[in-house]
Amino acid sequence: MSTILRGLQFYPGKTIIHKLDPRVKLVISLLLMATAMMYIEVTIITIIVVTEAVLAIIAKVFSRWARTVYGAAPLIIFVFIANFLFKLSMPGQSINLQSIYEALQLAYRLVAFLASFSIFFLTTTPEELGMALTKMKVPYMYTFAFISAIRFTPILAEELQSIVDAQKSRGLELEKGNIISRLRRYIPILVPLMVNVLRRSYELAEAIEVKCFGAKKNRTYLRELKMKLKDWTALSISVTLFILAVYIRYFSKIVIP
Amino acid sequence: MIVFENVEYVYPNGFKALNGINLEIESGEIIALMGENGAGKTTLLKHLNGLLKPTSGRVLIDGVDTRNSTVASLSRKVGIVFQNAEDMFFSPTISEELAFALNNFNFPEEVVKKRVEWALKFMELEEYRDKSPFLLSGGEKKRLALAIILAWSPDIIALDEPTVGQDILQKEKMIQIIKQANQQGKTIIISSHDVEFIADLNPRIILMSRGRIVKDGSAEEVLTDIQLLHECRLIPPQIVSLTSRLDFLGFKPKLARPEEVAVEIARRLR
Repeated sequence: MSTILRGLQFYPGKTIIHKLDPRVKLVISLLLMATAMMYIEVTIITIIVVTEAVLAIIAKVFSRWARTVYGAAPLIIFVFIANFLFKLSMPGQSINLQSIYEALQLAYRLVAFLASFSIFFLTTTPEELGMALTKMKVPYMYTFAFISAIRFTPILAEELQSIVDAQKSRGLELEKGNIISRLRRYIPILVPLMVNVLRRSYELAEAIEVKCFGAKKNRTYLRELKMKLKDWTALSISVTLFILAVYIRYFSKIVIP
Repeated sequence: MIVFENVEYVYPNGFKALNGINLEIESGEIIALMGENGAGKTTLLKHLNGLLKPTSGRVLIDGVDTRNSTVASLSRKVGIVFQNAEDMFFSPTISEELAFALNNFNFPEEVVKKRVEWALKFMELEEYRDKSPFLLSGGEKKRLALAIILAWSPDIIALDEPTVGQDILQKEKMIQIIKQANQQGKTIIISSHDVEFIADLNPRIILMSRGRIVKDGSAEEVLTDIQLLHECRLIPPQIVSLTSRLDFLGFKPKLARPEEVAVEIARRLR
């Protein structure tokens, strides 16, 4: 779990991907996901994943990006098994290669999804994300809540670890007993975590109030977002490719292997 | 007895926190682990009860390799008091908080009761027994955290930064408690960069820097090595700073009680 969280954490860099306008990056990520939604074919999903890998290499975050995908393996396996079992439960189905293959396709698509998200978050600072959302007319109150959530997840993961350490040192054994008693064992972990989260949100609320949060409706920024030539280029390339993908799917007769 | 044999620890993110640690701690010793932030003190402490297992080398607690044992069974022997006391609290009352570990270690019910009473009394928390641990003040929370560990009477007690956020009286009380537990035969290991606090305790000091032990010796030996302390980003105790500046009176840097130094200065001035 913490591997996935780390994969969503911004990692500073100076590559062209980092410098791209966050709005363009968001659109590219969403288009990649939309393309993955339209297609189920392994070939196309592979093309999408490879494209994402190339983007990750250009942004010099490849190893982190790969680790996110790798860290999501349990989730992907879960989706595979769930889909497979669901297919089996349908009337008239039996275990055959076809149903395994279909479940595999759905799980594979998830890789494309996660990978696309991961590149976006790895190369975009929370501030840039905030600016992008504000420009898209999202009320700053919500934007701020969203950015804070992203910003605090790594801290939360760290805190969780130190709580687990402290309780294990008091003889708490998480891997013992049946399901019910196991869930009960998580109380000593969850209570301190909730208390910490609540306390920090009060502190944060006080801190931002001291700095006059929400005093003015229109916020200004030190660095304003402006679409430059490279942003328009990147945007038009990706939109063109997406239109092409839509055309091939719904209007042409090309058979995809 | 605690033995570290060529211990190396690399965090999953690739950071090498311990690098070739060799260490022997006899039972009944008081040890202070000192060094700047990120020197590896907390990582070393977490090896004592198996929360972390060495990536290479081995850690032996009374002859038991930590890799062959669980955290729960090692914790029976090694109690670690972490820096942030609030990470522990989840029970509705302080008495229940104290009983939690005792129940985990399967102590009989009468023993649990007796130990809880003893811990409440020893740490002067009796009047709060039915209060929520979250209602305590900062200093009291630290005391409760220590009481929780002392309640099951582990042979080895490790304290991570016990003086952070404590006032001078609480620190004095802490020194008393540590000395008292030590007299009962407990091995005490403290990680700290509170130089004055450690100087008062006068333990064996293990000085760490970037995952290595740079010096292992008596408090006198380590805390008067001003050059080395500087390299490890520690300020020498005030009494050492003073005596090191009195070289015109024939003083050498020295760790002593202020009264002794005052008498000595008066004698030399006469």
